[in-house]
Amino acid sequence: MNYMYLYLPVALTSINILIPVGLGLAVGLLSGLFGVGGGFLMTPLLIMFGIPSTVAAATDSNQIVAASTSGTYAHWKVGNVDFKMGLYLLVGGFVGGLFGVQAIKILKATGNADFVIKMTYVIMLGVVGTYMFIESLHSMKKAKKQSQESGVSSQESGFTKFLKSLPLQTRFEKSGVTHSTLLPIIFGGFVGVLAAIMGVGGGFLMVPVMVYILRMPMHVVVGTSLFQILFNCIEVTFLQAYTNHNVDFILAVLLLLGSTVGAQVGAVFGRKLKGEQLKIILAVIVLAVTAKIVLELTLTPSLLISQGGGH
Amino acid sequence: MKKFKIQNSKFKIEVFLFLAFCILYFAASATAFADLTIKANHDHIKIDFFYHGSSVSVKGEADPGTDLIVKITSPEGTQELRKKGKAAGFLWMNVGNLDFENTPYLYSVHSTKKLEDMLSREEMDKYVIGYPALSRHIEITPVSGEDEKLKWFDEFLKYKESSNLYRSSSGKIMTSSEGGRQAYYILTDWPYQAPPGDYIVTVYAVKDRQVIEKAEANVSVEQVGIVKALAEMARSKAAMYGIISILAALAAGFGVGLIFRKGGGAH
Repeated sequence: MNYMYLYLPVALTSINILIPVGLGLAVGLLSGLFGVGGGFLMTPLLIMFGIPSTVAAATDSNQIVAASTSGTYAHWKVGNVDFKMGLYLLVGGFVGGLFGVQAIKILKATGNADFVIKMTYVIMLGVVGTYMFIESLHSMKKAKKQSQESGVSSQESGFTKFLKSLPLQTRFEKSGVTHSTLLPIIFGGFVGVLAAIMGVGGGFLMVPVMVYILRMPMHVVVGTSLFQILFNCIEVTFLQAYTNHNVDFILAVLLLLGSTVGAQVGAVFGRKLKGEQLKIILAVIVLAVTAKIVLELTLTPSLLISQGGGH
Repeated sequence: MKKFKIQNSKFKIEVFLFLAFCILYFAASATAFADLTIKANHDHIKIDFFYHGSSVSVKGEADPGTDLIVKITSPEGTQELRKKGKAAGFLWMNVGNLDFENTPYLYSVHSTKKLEDMLSREEMDKYVIGYPALSRHIEITPVSGEDEKLKWFDEFLKYKESSNLYRSSSGKIMTSSEGGRQAYYILTDWPYQAPPGDYIVTVYAVKDRQVIEKAEANVSVEQVGIVKALAEMARSKAAMYGIISILAALAAGFGVGLIFRKGGGAH
């Protein structure tokens, strides 16, 4: 008997415990640092280690519940969670998710749904990653200049003026911004639709929305994003367990052993970095994932047959 | 004199009966010995918390001069799998499903010699022995013709072999002669990827390119303890299972948060 291996009762396979604990630690670290769930990394890695794809996605959402609780808690302690904003985003995300599920049904009925979904995913990742990279590079340079010239440049763009003209303006104290209530609901909904279509949590979309559209400070974005992800993943975990029986409790426990600790370390480490530095690292990770997916799409895969089921 | 005669005939009858008994005994025991025998040791595999596959040995006796094939399969069924193909001419992605019918989930064949050297094609097909026979036995839908079927069968084999569920070997069965009989023995790794269920182990004795005898044994794989309890709960008490999974994750997240607050005050 080898005590390094545990049998996973739902995945129906055996795994070396160091693999999920290590993966959890790494992805939890990213989660605490950047406020993403990390499903875009974790799910393919679990599949690579022999976990059926449907179980990998469902169990990952269970694990994210733990990692994002740990991360939200760490960020909340230092006042970096905007609960009010998080709540509005959640409402929008929930409604958007419902629309997204319907959109998938329509896509599937028209055929080549997989193609559209995959393309949307790659393009979104690529656009978001590139934009964040260029923007944060710019603002890093600007910050340098500003410290030299101590100039103030807060020009109001047309878009900002438009946002300010919307009704139901309200103050978000934690983030230090004033917006229409509709704004987080609409953009939360937009991310919800896309996330549901692409079958991912959408953290990598929510973070840029909060930074660039809602103009929240990066450190509050990370905490608030985690808070929002926590509730999304509770819902997804329950639905997956209830309707698809795909959550593997043992695998989730192994993953969260690493990810809860990783999220704490990430949160502590993140405080030592500037907002711009966080953004640019996240942009690089998103671009790396985009490149990986593009390679997967173009290189001939070693196996042309895979397990059925799932989306 | 008469008495002697009677005694004599009685003696003859006794001798006759003794000889008849001997002939019958040897004939009977000869047929008993001629039977191909099979025994799978460790035929009840228990999947517990630390299960990482097992090993199963198959042994028995056969007539001398016969070649042997040991086949291990699960019952046949339909498997729905996804196929990858080029979408828009250059992008690899899932392009649909394939149904594999009459298909065992696990299939392994071990033989004393190469299958094609010891068995005719008809016999291979009749008993579904070897990958070529299996490719003719399995139904794959939808495919446009025989060529496409063979292509997907080859991909299917790669997929199954990559998870140790399909295997084929020759020369791994050990044989020795014991009291005029041929004893055989093979030790095979039992893959942890094989799900719980009943499996059939069949040994075929082959002579002159034909199967002359076969014998079967069973291997059952069963979940026990925590593994069984969790698997059953995930299926039959799904709502409770989901809630427990969520609560455990929440508790773990908060727990670690508290530990870090106490332990790591340096921030």
